Amino acid sequence: MNEDPVVQATGAVPDGTGPSPAADALSHAGALLQVRDVRKVYGEGHTEVVAVSDATMAVDEGEFVALLGPSGSGKTTLISIIGGLLSATSGTVRIGDVEVTGMSRRDLTRFRAERVGFVFQSANLVPFLTARENLLYVAGLVKTPRAAAKSRADQLLEELGLIGRAGNLPEQLSGGERQRVAIGRALMNDPDLVLVDEPTAALDTAMGRQVVELLRREIKARGKTGIMVTHDLRMVEYTDRVFEILDGELTHVEEPSTLGH
Amino acid sequence: MLAIREFQRGLGRFSAIVSALGLLVFLVLILGALADGLFYGATGAVRSTSATAYAFDDEAEGSLVRSRLTEVDVAILAQAPGVEQAGPVGVLLTGGEGPQGTLSLSVFGIDMGSAGTPTTLVEGRLPDPGESGVVAADERLTDEGVVLGSTIAVGDVTAEVVGLVADASYQLQPSVWTSVATWRAMRDAVRPELRGQPDGINAVALVTTPGASLSEIAAAAPGITVLSAEATGLAIPGVEQQSSTLNSIIYTTLAVAALVVALFFALLVLEKRELFAALKALGASTSRLGGGVIVQAAVASVLGVVLGTVVARLFGLVIPPQVPTLFRTDTLVTIAVFTVVAGIVGAVFSLRRIARIDPATAIGGVL
Ligand SMILES: Nc1ncnc2c1ncn2[C@@H]1O[C@H](COP(=O)(O)OP(=O)(O)OP(=O)(O)O)[C@@H](O)[C@H]1O
Ligand SMILES: [Mg+2]
Repeated sequence: MNEDPVVQATGAVPDGTGPSPAADALSHAGALLQVRDVRKVYGEGHTEVVAVSDATMAVDEGEFVALLGPSGSGKTTLISIIGGLLSATSGTVRIGDVEVTGMSRRDLTRFRAERVGFVFQSANLVPFLTARENLLYVAGLVKTPRAAAKSRADQLLEELGLIGRAGNLPEQLSGGERQRVAIGRALMNDPDLVLVDEPTAALDTAMGRQVVELLRREIKARGKTGIMVTHDLRMVEYTDRVFEILDGELTHVEEPSTLGH
Repeated sequence: MLAIREFQRGLGRFSAIVSALGLLVFLVLILGALADGLFYGATGAVRSTSATAYAFDDEAEGSLVRSRLTEVDVAILAQAPGVEQAGPVGVLLTGGEGPQGTLSLSVFGIDMGSAGTPTTLVEGRLPDPGESGVVAADERLTDEGVVLGSTIAVGDVTAEVVGLVADASYQLQPSVWTSVATWRAMRDAVRPELRGQPDGINAVALVTTPGASLSEIAAAAPGITVLSAEATGLAIPGVEQQSSTLNSIIYTTLAVAALVVALFFALLVLEKRELFAALKALGASTSRLGGGVIVQAAVASVLGVVLGTVVARLFGLVIPPQVPTLFRTDTLVTIAVFTVVAGIVGAVFSLRRIARIDPATAIGGVL
């Protein structure tokens, strides 16, 4: 299982290039991502659930942060709002100079294709497209010229150690390989922000570490900004900073080392 | 790209819908061939002539064989407003003798060159005006060994075949076209009760001026009804009923095809909900995903049409010749277009389903 040529060192955390966490990490001007007083309430009346209550956070360009919390704490809800998949009940999300909250559905679709890369819990690759075609498909969503898309896809597959698997269908790939294809797909359109929800849930620990390490490397090498949702404390060591969420309350902002493991 | 790749890599599942559509197209084509065979076989003799209308006696209800007129009526109708040409028509449904034995025939006696002259000569010549003892025969009779120069006998009256005409059957019986005099001799030979009517004919073929009023023409000749050539075809016993019955079966089958496609793609979309949610999350629009489904439906329908056509034509080779079938290209084109449209309409029903898929369900395994 553990024969990946790309991931040589396990355990060692590559050096982050992100800025050191500032005391005002919750909110400061000039951050790539600014979340301000975001609240999400599901349902009405006595079935009402406050999934996220008044979350405020800021992430700088080039940072890879973790969103840590137990099941049902609101992680998926928050990251969905940030990525323009879900509308907030109140509050604002800005990515760069774009206000995500308040965009039309149609604009959001386009915005996601161009500016956000998603890695889902289960890879969710198109089962009848090969690894390379899965990457090319998202390039087609933003009308990338064919030749440019092809060379970019091959470069990403190379970096992810998948070039020998480029012509395989997802069913012919291992779980870790699929998740790596999904990472390549998320990076294909050169997004500003990469959002990752429990990428290791379907993988064993060793494979999970490999995938997260690779994810960090790709995000850092490309100067992207990443947010990874996890409830697994062991995965936070690969991130620059940790936001913790409990019952919808964004409670802590810490460096990974202070969490201890 | 997505839609076509799925088709290529999932041939197993798509072959199911293609075969189902192919089967329905096959059914529709055979029914269509039967409908065309019956219609063209019944009405050829009134469609493949120069006549644009026919005059009958008032009691005939548009039936050539039931109508009884005389040559005097030809002269009267020739003077009616809007009539360019009027010619006598005698019809006799009878048995005859050909080179290989007995034949079912419809014998038409006309004034060659006047209204009602066949326009579909394919070989030889038509009898000359006034020439007796010769006929132009329906091409279909070549199946019974009739060629140019053959002799056809009705009772004790014989005639030589000098020409062949196409698409000229009447009530599914192949026709022969001859002078009024030869026709009358044949009639007298096999229907002794009609002897002694030296100027009796059945109907009058008319060539009318464009836009002429048929009721005005009828008004000029008391006791006479005038029908267009098309209406005359439909008035032939059974034609209208058969056409409408077969056509309603055909349209029902096409509706079933739309339903089959609708169900197939509804299931396919249901099965791909999770994938579509993920693709939407990645920024694929509903119209892009829906467009892919429509493309798949169109491709499946076209392949179904091809499959159904091939099978129907092969089946056509083993249909016994006494079953009247006719495979017409324009019927095929109509059915092909209707099938593809039915397929696309069926697929359109899944668009609403695709539109309702929430991209938020893709993330975090909420589904
Ligand atoms: N569509 C919804 N309708 C109603 N309530 C919802 C909906 N989605 C989530 N919730 C509720 O909102 C809260 C937060 O859910 P969320 O999925 O964000 O949690 P999570 O931190 O991602 O949990 P997990 O680790 O199990 O994925 C939960 O109490 C959940 O039951
Ligand atoms: Mg979740």
